[in-house]
Amino acid sequence: MTSWIRLAAPAALVSTIVPPAYAVQYLSIAQAQKQAFPSATTFAPVDGRAWKAQSGGTVLGLIVVDHVIGKHLYIDYSVALDPSGRIKRVDILQYRESYGGEVRDASWVAQFVGKSSASALKVGQDIRNISGATLSSQHVTEGVKRVLAAYGNRVR
Amino acid sequence: MPILVMSVERQCNTGVVMSVDRERRNVTGFINVKSALPTLIATASILSASGSAVVAGDVSDVSARTASVSEKSNEELLKKMRAMEQRIEMLEGKLKQQKQGSASATTTPQSTAPAQTAPARAARAQATGASPPTGNAPSPTPTAPTNNGLLGLTDSPVPGLSLGAYGEVKFGAFKNPDAGGKWQNGFDVHRFVLLPTYAITPNIIFNAEIEFEHGGIAFDADDKRHGTAEIEQLWIDFKIHDKFNWRSPGVDLVPIGYINQHHEPTQFYSVNRPELYNGLIPSTFMVPATSIYGRLMDGLSYQFQASSSVEDFGDDFDKRTDGNSVPLGGYAAGITGLSALHDSRPVIGDFRQLNNTIAYAGKLDFAPPILPGFAGSVSGYFSPNITPRGAYADAGGTLGRNSLALFDAEFRYRVPNTGLELRGEYVRVSFGNPANLRANNDSDPNNNVGKSMFGWSGEVAYHFQLGTFLNSEWEAVPFYRYTYENLQTNGFAGTDANEPTGAGRLQFYTAGLAVFPSSKVVLKATYQKVKNKDPGGANSDSVLGGVGFFF
Repeated sequence: MTSWIRLAAPAALVSTIVPPAYAVQYLSIAQAQKQAFPSATTFAPVDGRAWKAQSGGTVLGLIVVDHVIGKHLYIDYSVALDPSGRIKRVDILQYRESYGGEVRDASWVAQFVGKSSASALKVGQDIRNISGATLSSQHVTEGVKRVLAAYGNRVR
Repeated sequence: MPILVMSVERQCNTGVVMSVDRERRNVTGFINVKSALPTLIATASILSASGSAVVAGDVSDVSARTASVSEKSNEELLKKMRAMEQRIEMLEGKLKQQKQGSASATTTPQSTAPAQTAPARAARAQATGASPPTGNAPSPTPTAPTNNGLLGLTDSPVPGLSLGAYGEVKFGAFKNPDAGGKWQNGFDVHRFVLLPTYAITPNIIFNAEIEFEHGGIAFDADDKRHGTAEIEQLWIDFKIHDKFNWRSPGVDLVPIGYINQHHEPTQFYSVNRPELYNGLIPSTFMVPATSIYGRLMDGLSYQFQASSSVEDFGDDFDKRTDGNSVPLGGYAAGITGLSALHDSRPVIGDFRQLNNTIAYAGKLDFAPPILPGFAGSVSGYFSPNITPRGAYADAGGTLGRNSLALFDAEFRYRVPNTGLELRGEYVRVSFGNPANLRANNDSDPNNNVGKSMFGWSGEVAYHFQLGTFLNSEWEAVPFYRYTYENLQTNGFAGTDANEPTGAGRLQFYTAGLAVFPSSKVVLKATYQKVKNKDPGGANSDSVLGGVGFFF
């Protein structure tokens, strides 16, 4: 039974040494803003969860931060919209669950680029299901769709 | 509270009460203040549960006492009123905020939380209201502040707690091999599982599965239950880094194949789990374990686990001796050529392991970005020694060490932009020294195991969208799966006579339809034909229906 200790000790050690605070937060809101609109000079708050990206007097787009439940816990994500209301970028800011982190895969979130409130945005149709992350992929897709419905025509 | 309101009335200050009433609807009941005092007192005495003075006496007695109270403590009451006024102002402010919040909610996206908690909040608003609204008083309309969790008006003290569930109900007709292959009807509430998860911090996460099988357990014979209530998973995850996380010692699933860890009924289309997971992989393959896991890059993740080994002991729990060895006088094998590893799972309780072995399992999951829709895994499990303490052959002599290796490779491929889905899997079990397997030394010549066991399956399914009905988008998935298993390969070694009947060489033809009214619910119908090499036949065909859910 001492093998338990031998096996668990290194992991326990690492977990105490590595500062865990940054671990599950992949992107802060500011980082997500910068990634979506690198040339923006200001991000003017629209409401609690949306910011208008501006450069000089020009509106570059809108970035919305929202969350959905994955299987049990919240997934924080951001949706950047261009002035025409199409998706410029989707990022997963924070993922907390043990399974289903594949929603962070770049190739998966890239599927949202170019979608608008007119798109179907349905897992199994224009968005791929992720085997092993069924609930997370569905819920993020539903969330993105909701953001489009609410903000798609409010970018300008 | 009632006393206070009554006294207010005596001071001809009903106007205040009315304004209180308008602002805080849960005081609505006291609108009766305007009418006769006895009615008020009656109401008050009903309302004041903790009831001190008011509840006790009759009406006149109470009013007399109340009068004396109000005379004595006018000043105190004024103080209370001022406090109340302040509170009302505060609540007004809050209400305004909430109204603004809910007004903007029609245009801003709402998180899923308000939608989920709204009913609970409404229920709570009713429960905490001082009385149900009477007369023409407007009914309380719960506003929806964002993310306030379970408890309504304030932030939830346990924002990270959630409770998921999955379950499977099965019914239908099956050939019973123990009744000469006669068709029989049956029903089974196979599983109902509760999934509590609690985020202690964003990085320390508790997870468990509480499982009731076959209707649960009961202790009286006429309760007619022979199921289980068990802890299927229980661990705490320490999320350290994307590439390296630690899962505490606990009960966990062995990372082997796909369905063992993702065994909810919405993950597969047949009523029963795929056949490879009914023996070659003894799902639900849960073990005392600790593991590390992480995501190495997009589309590539790993898990490595150390666990209590499977054991070659398939007999009743209470047949373990107090010395944690096998009993004298014969015992059932954990691994046989008929049921594979089905009965070999380690015990998860009471320090009753039959050997000291630690087994190791590892899995690589991949979903290459260059092949969208494709996901697969390779995984392995190795135990240096599965022989229990004191193991022996019926013919005499002890059984020595024997290692076990389990290998699995599988894929799932949903061809992009089509409804076509393909799945394939291969499983292999090999033994270091099969001569030491109990099945090969238990006087039963039919259940012997060869040098190894293996199985494979191929499945094709097609997803049809059925359109929107009952507020949900329905999907139908017809499927066909072929499975081959050989649990009795050549290379027998042991003291038994070796006369396999061919029952361990199986073919399963499984076809059916899974209808998903939502991605979280599935209605299934499955026909299965089973063949084996036994001259008597497998006699295990079935036509089953099922209802499954996972949320």
